[in-house]
Amino acid sequence: MKDQKDTTQPTQAELDYQAREKRVWDAIRLEKPDRVPIVCYDEYFSLKQGGVTPADAYYDVNRASKVFAEEVVKFNWDMVSLFGNLPGSVGEIIGLTSNKWAGFNLKDNQEYQFVEKEYMLADEYDQFLKDPSDFVLRKMWPRMATGLEPFGSFPSFLMLSHAYTPIAELAIFAGQPEVREMLEKLISIGEKMNQYLAGLDHTVEILKEKGQPVFLEVLAHAPFDWISDYFRGIKGTMLDMYYQPDKLKAAIDLITPQMIEYTIKTALEMDAKTVSIPLHRGADPFMSNEQYAEFYWPSLKELLLALIEADITPSPYWEGSYTNRLEFLAELPPGKIWGHFDVIDIYKAREMIGDTMCFWGNVPGQILISGTPEQTSDYVKELIDIFGDTGGLIVDGAVGIPKEAKIENVIAMSETVFEYGVY
Amino acid sequence: MKEKLFDAIIGLSRDEALRVTDELLQSKLKPEEILDIGREAMQIIGKRFETGEYFLPELMVSGDILSAIADKVKPFLEGTTKAKKIGKVVIGTVAGDIHDIAKDIVVFMLDINGFEVIDLGVDVPVEKFVEAVQEHQTKIVGLSGFLTLAIEPMRDTISALKGAGMSDVKVMIGGGPINELVCEDVGADGWGANAMDAVSIANKWAGASQ
Repeated sequence: MKDQKDTTQPTQAELDYQAREKRVWDAIRLEKPDRVPIVCYDEYFSLKQGGVTPADAYYDVNRASKVFAEEVVKFNWDMVSLFGNLPGSVGEIIGLTSNKWAGFNLKDNQEYQFVEKEYMLADEYDQFLKDPSDFVLRKMWPRMATGLEPFGSFPSFLMLSHAYTPIAELAIFAGQPEVREMLEKLISIGEKMNQYLAGLDHTVEILKEKGQPVFLEVLAHAPFDWISDYFRGIKGTMLDMYYQPDKLKAAIDLITPQMIEYTIKTALEMDAKTVSIPLHRGADPFMSNEQYAEFYWPSLKELLLALIEADITPSPYWEGSYTNRLEFLAELPPGKIWGHFDVIDIYKAREMIGDTMCFWGNVPGQILISGTPEQTSDYVKELIDIFGDTGGLIVDGAVGIPKEAKIENVIAMSETVFEYGVY
Repeated sequence: MKEKLFDAIIGLSRDEALRVTDELLQSKLKPEEILDIGREAMQIIGKRFETGEYFLPELMVSGDILSAIADKVKPFLEGTTKAKKIGKVVIGTVAGDIHDIAKDIVVFMLDINGFEVIDLGVDVPVEKFVEAVQEHQTKIVGLSGFLTLAIEPMRDTISALKGAGMSDVKVMIGGGPINELVCEDVGADGWGANAMDAVSIANKWAGASQ
């Protein structure tokens, strides 16, 4: 019948989707695709083109979702991240103090930030090492959100293991007025979060219908960063490297296998082929190569290799400058890692890891924001000239596409790839 | 004994440095001299940071040792004595950005290189920079930012300073998203890729204004 769709033939969108995915995966495997792929971290740039601020994105996911899907496809990128998200209402309900975000305590056009401090004090390592879950629940959560303070009076987990716990201690705890209030808040944030996640899922669906692949962000962290970012703060960990190195290492050793298990389980559940690993404290200025080798690299390498072993492609974001660390990166197996680079000597990178790791990046934010289309195009051509022979190049901004970027520069970046990047 | 303190600080041995400080205080060495040793040691630490021998942990640890020494020495100080400073710098991370690590390194390096630093902290509103410059009568301002969102507040802060009749105030900017292009774009007088650049720019400007 004439008006019935032919379901055996793929649509143009499906063909686009497949071609884009293949292009990206060929590059990751260091096999030459038909042209250099372009995959962008676009947290707020496309939203801005459609008049949506970070505050809007945090408080009206459906509007952000609609605008993002309309705007981002205009660039014809091969793959995109999801827009920057943090459910603002959840943070407000739970009294989150460990973050600041637009629409609440930052201006509407400012992206969310983590408030770094010592959520674990220098003399609390022993408590953490003895029982990390107990420490997180009873000590750390109350420090991160006012609405979670009642967890501070929760009985010790071990003491909740006898036969009468559910009809005794647990019930007594749940019966306290402030605990009841907290539990109501938890139910409320659960509902808000479900709506929020549905909005994000919907975005992925719309984009798929338009032939636009999205890389799902299953996140993992370098174990050193986990301790430094979330528990001890940068100053805390740097002092620990001198004053209590064994405890710092013990904490890293404790969380590494749990991080590996949790990440692999999450990735498999979500059917995610890649895991993003934003890296923080391992960049060149933070520590010497000797310190990197002693404190940072072993657990990160263990995580990367375990993911590869599980047939998951790690995507570390080597944020900051990493030229001094290339000798470590060269230890990794070829064609298995998708490395996003920020500041790096691109010639040295080609020489030392060009045959190991797909190079993803790194058009400087300074050029995208303050430069010209010619400067942008020149940089992209230089990247293609350097890495083109390996096939292992994917173009993006060094810090993704900053929302402050000039649109003519972003277009120049994309068009240079489409024209100059054909193999 | 004085050398022992110096060596303990540059060797980053906190316990040893504090033990020797106690001994020096008991031996009736002038407390000002102990602080002078601390300052000299910090200059070596700064040099080693510049040459890539020391990194962030060493700056943090030496800063921690020095403040512990200062705590011990303070009760022995009669009145306040201040080392002569070569200039004043008002510094802060601009509005909307709450990152402080890079700024703190610049503060540290300016301080050990003889500047009085007025540190306004993070997420500093434009008006606060203007007020601080007026209050402290300084001609040098440093603006820090880690995120690309810092670029617009930098532009705003610079035009507010220049617009408030302070066209002789010089502004340097630094941080992850900053380079020559951005410097020109926002109208700053100078930019630095690291803390050593900040010191040499400040030295140049302080020399010129004296």
